[in-house]
Amino acid sequence: MVSEPISDIDQLEAPGSGRIPLATPDIRPLLAWVLPPLIALLLLAVAIELWVRIGDVSIWVMPRPSGVLENFFADFGGYFSEGLKTLGVSLGGLAIGTAAATLLAAGVAHSHVLERAVLPIAIMVKVTPVVALIPLFIIWMGHGWNPKIAIAALITYFPVLINAIAGFRDVDPRMHDFFRSVDASTWEIFRHLRLPAAVPYLFASLKISVTLSLIGAVVAEFFLSGQGGLGAVIWIEQNNLRLEQVFAAVLMLTLIGVTLSTAVVVAERLLSWRLDQPVAAS
Amino acid sequence: MTSIIDTPTSALPTSVRPTSAGPLVIKHPIEPEAEPAIRLQEVRLTYETKEGALLEAVDRTNLTIRAGEFTALVGPSGCGKTSLLRIIAGLTPASNGDVSIFGQTPKEAQRHKRLGLVFQEPALLAWRSVEDNVRLGLQLNPRETHSSTNVHELIEIVGLSGFERYRPAELSGGMQQRAALARALAIDPPLLLMDEPFAALDEITREQMRYELQRLWSVSHDPRDPPRSAVFVTHSVAEAVAIADRVLVMSPRPGRIIADIPITTPRPRRPEHEHSDRFVNDTAIVRSALRSPTTPAVPLDAA
Repeated sequence: MVSEPISDIDQLEAPGSGRIPLATPDIRPLLAWVLPPLIALLLLAVAIELWVRIGDVSIWVMPRPSGVLENFFADFGGYFSEGLKTLGVSLGGLAIGTAAATLLAAGVAHSHVLERAVLPIAIMVKVTPVVALIPLFIIWMGHGWNPKIAIAALITYFPVLINAIAGFRDVDPRMHDFFRSVDASTWEIFRHLRLPAAVPYLFASLKISVTLSLIGAVVAEFFLSGQGGLGAVIWIEQNNLRLEQVFAAVLMLTLIGVTLSTAVVVAERLLSWRLDQPVAAS
Repeated sequence: MTSIIDTPTSALPTSVRPTSAGPLVIKHPIEPEAEPAIRLQEVRLTYETKEGALLEAVDRTNLTIRAGEFTALVGPSGCGKTSLLRIIAGLTPASNGDVSIFGQTPKEAQRHKRLGLVFQEPALLAWRSVEDNVRLGLQLNPRETHSSTNVHELIEIVGLSGFERYRPAELSGGMQQRAALARALAIDPPLLLMDEPFAALDEITREQMRYELQRLWSVSHDPRDPPRSAVFVTHSVAEAVAIADRVLVMSPRPGRIIADIPITTPRPRRPEHEHSDRFVNDTAIVRSALRSPTTPAVPLDAA
């Protein structure tokens, strides 16, 4: 028996044709995203390295990138340990700031009186440079972790507050009518309608506040260097004019910032997948 | 000339008077003595504009809709049809007058889950599956959930079997509206209020849905409750005549009911009925009432 010649390339891929498709994951899209910034960073480092070496730039002005990396990996454990302290302050502040702002937003979304009472104060706190409050926080809370976490919380609450208010209020009025038509309680409306509707808004604000919390933590550590943290390392090492150590600490901060931002994006994608993606019929 | 709305049933001309043996009684036996599904007395709705001027949306309205009646509300855009429906649903308080739903205030009717609402857009929760959307009304205000509705059965009845786990965004407009209808019916309400539910659908789906609605109207209804009534707001005269036992025509703003037209086509109705003389005649009567907004009543005897 002579088999029919394959006239169409699609026949090769036809289901049930017996061909086992090659399961090679396509990493090209990932490379397309990752490679350009990596190459740009590498070129920048090489340019600085050349500038410092050829221009004989003093180590107190700009250290060699190769020296920074050498220092970073040589004392990776130390930077990582200090980074964990900064991360703790940052996440503590982020959690408290986000929780407080979300609760306040839930109240404001339900009450225009509360909105008129609270929002002006929230804006006043927002426009006040948080750094100016650090001495007060130290007087009130001592020299421990609390004032640092408080600063990180204070710096993160505002974007969450504004976005959460918008999210809690951005509900389909017809859906709200449906809830009212069955005499749903305020809690039921919040739990089943307002809170899920606010999820995209909350993630949008988290993307901003996660980096703000890191800024708050580092600034607070400048003032409260006793408990360590990358802010304290930067503060102490710049006083000693050890710029390689300063840059190595900044590099660790960058890695923490990228990790935190990526975690928010991944969490959002996971939740979006749960909310929006097709679910196979049972 | 007295409007037919204000006229006691017994005083209506024989040609339009609904009797127990008459053609108006199609889905459920209508008992004249039973508590009416809806009673509006001297209901008015006035808005205050941003400039401080008073805008009358609904003029003094008296209306009785009996249990088991399927009533369509037609009128030009902005005449107050939706406002009237919202007053009945207790979503917009009337400026004046009394509203009674099976002898209760609209708020009490909401509390006892006696109202089923369907909107122009399906208004489903995007993050919930079809099944969870249909179940929503049963989950809310659970102390008043007495419905023994089987959600899976209801989904099957509205033709969404196999789509229980799908999200609204994965369904067509017609399928979403079926899900919204199932959600409204899940609490087994004795009164179904629909605000142009098929307006956003294409013509073919729309025609299909109007006949399916008649089938779904009495689905899973507890026989111990009064027969289910419905108020159906629409722009389409053909839709109103095809579906309803009674068509109420509203005048342009300030809206008031200027004609009350019984539709005598027997049920179950099918698309072929739209070619019948009776359908054409009823449609012409409704159109004539819409064209003569100042006329308080249409030539009902001509029906």
